Amino acid sequence: MKKVMVAAVFAVALAILAANALGSAKAPARASASSLATASVTCGKLRTIGMAAPITGPASDIGNQQVRWAKFFVKRWNASKANRNQKIKLVTGDTQLGVDTAFAVKVAQSFKSNSKLLAVVGPAGSQEVVASTTAYKAGGLGFVSGSASRTSLTDGHTDGNRRGYFYRTVPSDAAQGPTVANYMTKTLKWKRVYIIDDQETYSQGLADGVQKILNAKGVTTKRDSISQKDSDFSAAIAKIPSNYQGIYIPWQLAPQAQAFGQQLQAAGKGHIKLFGSDGLFAPGVWKIAGSYDSAFPYNPTDPVVKAYVKAHGGNGEFFGLPSYVAAQVDTLAVTKACKAGHGKTTRAAVRKQIAKTNIATTILGFRVGFKSSGEMKLPAAYGIYQIQKNGSFKRIG
Amino acid sequence: MSSTPRQALGNLAGLGVLLAIWVFYAVYFSPTQGWTFFLQLTVDGIILGSIYALIALGYSMVYGILKLLNFAHGDVAMIGAFIGFGVLTLLGGPLSPAIPVVALVACMFVVAMLGSGFLGLAIERFAYRPLRDAPRIAPLISALGVAFFLENSVLLLFGANYRNYDGYDLISYNGIHLGGSAGVFVSYLGVMVITGALLLMVGLVALVRWTRFGKAMRAVSFDREAAAMMGIDPDRVIATTFFVGSALGGAAGVMFGLVYSQIYYLVGFLAGLKGFTAAVVGGIGSIPGAMLGGLLVGLVESWAKGYLNGNVADLVVFGILIGVMLIRPQGLLGTPALQKV
Repeated sequence: MKKVMVAAVFAVALAILAANALGSAKAPARASASSLATASVTCGKLRTIGMAAPITGPASDIGNQQVRWAKFFVKRWNASKANRNQKIKLVTGDTQLGVDTAFAVKVAQSFKSNSKLLAVVGPAGSQEVVASTTAYKAGGLGFVSGSASRTSLTDGHTDGNRRGYFYRTVPSDAAQGPTVANYMTKTLKWKRVYIIDDQETYSQGLADGVQKILNAKGVTTKRDSISQKDSDFSAAIAKIPSNYQGIYIPWQLAPQAQAFGQQLQAAGKGHIKLFGSDGLFAPGVWKIAGSYDSAFPYNPTDPVVKAYVKAHGGNGEFFGLPSYVAAQVDTLAVTKACKAGHGKTTRAAVRKQIAKTNIATTILGFRVGFKSSGEMKLPAAYGIYQIQKNGSFKRIG
Repeated sequence: MSSTPRQALGNLAGLGVLLAIWVFYAVYFSPTQGWTFFLQLTVDGIILGSIYALIALGYSMVYGILKLLNFAHGDVAMIGAFIGFGVLTLLGGPLSPAIPVVALVACMFVVAMLGSGFLGLAIERFAYRPLRDAPRIAPLISALGVAFFLENSVLLLFGANYRNYDGYDLISYNGIHLGGSAGVFVSYLGVMVITGALLLMVGLVALVRWTRFGKAMRAVSFDREAAAMMGIDPDRVIATTFFVGSALGGAAGVMFGLVYSQIYYLVGFLAGLKGFTAAVVGGIGSIPGAMLGGLLVGLVESWAKGYLNGNVADLVVFGILIGVMLIRPQGLLGTPALQKV
């Protein structure tokens, strides 16, 4: 029996190791990058772009918002008579953000192998961007994320160099952190803030940034962390002193924030307000009334935004809005590259066009163009929202 | 294969001394000192441990009778959680239940336990029974296969989306304050889970000790061939054992969903491993051992999260598993297996 038991324990240990290994899976060694990047593609009347988003999984709510916004752009583009010979086909890949970054890598590899695919929208999570960069670079593909906001993604060294390949249509956390910290201190007048990250680098980066600013402003902070796989928050909640005014949770999984909020209330600490980040911008999923959230800017008066809201029964699903712009960036780049190549193009040529992006009017409310780092040229302020009793998010700052 | 009363007493005394040293350190010397914090974590650990204990019982019962480590058991609990959620949704959901809440919760438990029980029967019939006389590694591999089959079936049927029970909305956010408003808080939902788990465990002990089925189960566990010669149908006893163990897993799944809200297709993986750890720590094959092991694992996890960090809680729990395997492979309340010669 002892041998069987020992064997079983080793089997369990192996299973845990395997699960961890999958969780941190990296893309395989780069293939012949130059051949894929410079391989000639006939544009035809239907050009293909990919979209990597969490269509299922714990972050599926925000992922589907992104897909719907990107599809909304494609639908409008294809409906235009001027584009009848340059239509766009959007191929989606499910990255299951929050389950395992290996899914994002698989999607990147499949996009890389799809010879018709010219550019990519996504992925959604910063950790997914890091994990799948090798595959995208190996395929010579430019990828434009509508939500990966980790500051170091574009610095060219901390999380790997993806310059010339990666762009984003959201401001980085360097803009989000100060907005959040200022709102906490100036508007909410918080003096004691508890900060809990979810152990992902997106979350840790934001938590570090906000904590640093709060401490500099004389706010007392305490720090803890939970895992994205946690369901039981009782111990973390027990550690939170009752006299704290706010809990900052820069997480990515809205169902987890909802469960945390419920357990916080059940522990008799519902008077402490929650403050989330753009990763939790999921009306109807995270619905703890009175909680705050920060999210990127958009122009509510733009006719496209109004049309989307109308087409979706009044639900703006604004988390997906920058993905509309990302699809717009990719589409315009593909169209220009095809035109320049007289009906033929390459992924490298499309990337060059992405880098040259200059869209005067966007639904974000400002001109969109990119620096060489992949960041947008114009600075954009994050908005502050509060969750209402019906679960909707109302902009308050 | 339970230990003798003297051995068990000795083990429990040793465990008691260790716990006393820990309590003394936690309350008086840890960075987060004080009884309130310690007791709050302890209560939370008991709630978690009650769920682990129910899962551990399934592992232990199957191992006791078949010497099989049923690694699919955590996923049976996951299926139970999904069945419970299905019943909850069908009957109006947590915010607007179509029937009284007590009846709704009872329905969730009954249907989830029956569903999981029958699933356990099917697993035994199709995945384990054909391998009963095969080398011991074969059913172990089969168990892992069944686990992956169940996980991927749920993924295929329901997707990878999280489902939220909203258990506190359904039952209540209120609870009992022990020692005033700044004291220890136990939610009514927590009380329900502890009481429910306790009742199920008492019921199981009664079933095993005082019924004909229990006697048959112990006989098959002791010597399957001799039991068959005495007129007991081992296949039927084994199948019933799977049914009961899986039903307990189903109940654990519903409890997990109610207290911790989120369920998804992989939720049974880690919970199952913790249940397995609990069964091994308590002494696999021993029913009281599974209960004790479950509580211990729940407590250790809660204390580790509270006094150390959420990052290291699993490290501590599985470290204990390895420690027990090295120091006392038969577990706290188990006895070393006799080698028949």
